[in-house]
Amino acid sequence: MKDFKRSKAILITLFICAVLMCAGWIIAQKWSISTLKPDQFVQDKEALSRLLENSSEIQRIWSEGEDSREWISLKKECLSYYQITETFDESLLRCNPMIFECLNRFNQKLNFRFVKPDLSDDQNQKIYRYLTKSNTSHIGLEHSGYLFTIEDKKNRKHLNLFLADQCHEVFLQNRTYAYGEEILEKKSSEETEDYRFDNFNQNIYIDQHLVMNSELNEWIDFGNPNFTEGLKKSDNKDYFLPATSLTYSQMENYCSFKGKQLMQAHIFDAATFLPMDLNDINPKNNNRSPYYWTKKKSEFKSDCSLIFAKECLQKKNFKINSTSPTWAGLTDSMGGPFEVFRNPIDPESNLKAASYYFNFKSPWHKLGFRASWDGEDFDLRHFDFKGINPEIIPQKFQVGFRCMREEK
Amino acid sequence: MKKRNGFQLFVLWMIGICIAACLSACLPIKISDVNLAEAEMKLYNEWLYTFKLKHFNFNNELITRPPGVEQYLFNLVLPSEGGINLKTHCVYYQVPYKNLSGIIKVIEQKNESECPEVSSLIPWFELKEISELQVKLENFKLILNFKYKNKKTNWSFVLPNINNGFVHQKYQSIKVKKLFPELTILRINEDSFDINFNKYLGKLSDRFSRGSSIRCQQVNKDCKTIGEYRCDSCAYGWYEVVDFSCPQGGSKFCGQNHCGEKNEPACPRGSKVVSSEELGICQSDLTSVYNSDHTLVCQ
Repeated sequence: MKDFKRSKAILITLFICAVLMCAGWIIAQKWSISTLKPDQFVQDKEALSRLLENSSEIQRIWSEGEDSREWISLKKECLSYYQITETFDESLLRCNPMIFECLNRFNQKLNFRFVKPDLSDDQNQKIYRYLTKSNTSHIGLEHSGYLFTIEDKKNRKHLNLFLADQCHEVFLQNRTYAYGEEILEKKSSEETEDYRFDNFNQNIYIDQHLVMNSELNEWIDFGNPNFTEGLKKSDNKDYFLPATSLTYSQMENYCSFKGKQLMQAHIFDAATFLPMDLNDINPKNNNRSPYYWTKKKSEFKSDCSLIFAKECLQKKNFKINSTSPTWAGLTDSMGGPFEVFRNPIDPESNLKAASYYFNFKSPWHKLGFRASWDGEDFDLRHFDFKGINPEIIPQKFQVGFRCMREEK
Repeated sequence: MKKRNGFQLFVLWMIGICIAACLSACLPIKISDVNLAEAEMKLYNEWLYTFKLKHFNFNNELITRPPGVEQYLFNLVLPSEGGINLKTHCVYYQVPYKNLSGIIKVIEQKNESECPEVSSLIPWFELKEISELQVKLENFKLILNFKYKNKKTNWSFVLPNINNGFVHQKYQSIKVKKLFPELTILRINEDSFDINFNKYLGKLSDRFSRGSSIRCQQVNKDCKTIGEYRCDSCAYGWYEVVDFSCPQGGSKFCGQNHCGEKNEPACPRGSKVVSSEELGICQSDLTSVYNSDHTLVCQ
């Protein structure tokens, strides 16, 4: 009897426990769902909506660059911060993180803020990472570019924005081209015809301008250190100058880091020799002028905006995009520093010698006529100018480069 | 003795109820029970990163057939956490019929794969009491109009990563047909920068001449692509070789391009202005010959 009473008490206790637990669980669920969560999710949605609007604005600034109202209002402070006193071609600010660095630093009116990748207190820390397919595991990247994280000021929700830096490339029209100087006199049986080729089955994109120091800095900061060992980052004031101190294999590796290749000599010729008839994409002959601005073979001009030759250095310093673009859109194709190519036809002819090391009268100022560089170092013994040496030999020559790539 | 056994059974039954109550508290909340805002955000927080929308064939028509039967609508391919993998969300809809509730269901597959016609796995997302569903894609927005518990609802998911192809125009940089052309929204966490998860193809040291280059597209003699096109996944870019003079070009390899050099493939020279013996570019002291794979190589 005692046992029965005790059991009954346990039974009732357990029953009450079960009922209370069930009721408690149901109430907790109902309360949490119906009162707290809707607000939170509505706020999240609004924050996401604001972040997407801001993304659209960020994309606009990215593509407008120097034409954006943001740059116009920030320019003075920004250049002063970077200690850039020399003028430069401001079109280089398109697809460039500099505007966002300054926007973050000097514009307090934004309803979002940029979140730095690391949590350190370093004031000079960049607000972005440079991503390529070799330094990130995030799948689906189409190209290399910059990763920014923005945070909604109200809600603190984050969004990671990847901005591709392809806007300084130009598409090489699908057509017939020729390599090297035009052969005017029959020398031997092998050299009676032009070396012609076409790219009808290839979509080729070429860097408009020489690789800049600021781009090289990204490689040093975000590339595989095994390949950038010993390279020094450039000062802010030299950001928009060409990178001219890499060896040939370092140049190849830099282009590979960006998913590209070092510019090939015959493709450079294709993008620089002015086609006689732009509408005829498959002409019978590829007649060509040695000057990219004219179809006339004799129309040479001693003009610093066409060839940045030795004389031009007395008037102004060389900057990226000092000379007019070729028909395909490449700048500094004549004059400026040397430019090296990978030449799959004649590897010894790999250097555009038309540069500020030679005056306007030099025979080097012709398209398709190339000197040689062994790619190892920068003093005279590493160059072969075919007997047409510069009058003044610097301790180190400056050799620039650009990249190209194919697209599906 | 009999009484005691019956009592013990009753106690066990009560303990069972308690355990069941505890377990049920641990089970995930059924979306059909929670509010619509949470359901919408659950989808939005994932679908925002969608790279591809596949098998999508809707233009806002009312989905009324087949009544009472679940049907596959479309799928979305999106990155997993940290973007280190792709996954697939298969979207299903059961049209309501008599006592059968209308249901939107999403099944998550842990890779990029085709969806079964009928959902089989435990749904990653389920919303019941749906009717009059309409679906459309408008200006990179996936729009779902429906009635939830007979109340009109509109969900609009922006899909900024959907890419409708490229435009190649002379003198111009590449144009990507996207909502924000140069912008992609990534799903970043610490794993995104852990190089051990990197699935991009090839090493910088890979060379065709050493046999270490990865072929990312293979074209056969009938100019058909064999297998998958993987060149978008090359870690250090890719280059094309000369093989069967196909209109879409030749096979492609990942890595640094050394075409024209000794034991490397010949560079493409096109086919409009040269004879069939001169389709490749090699250094002037080398000649081009076809290897056993019918790739033109400089020797």
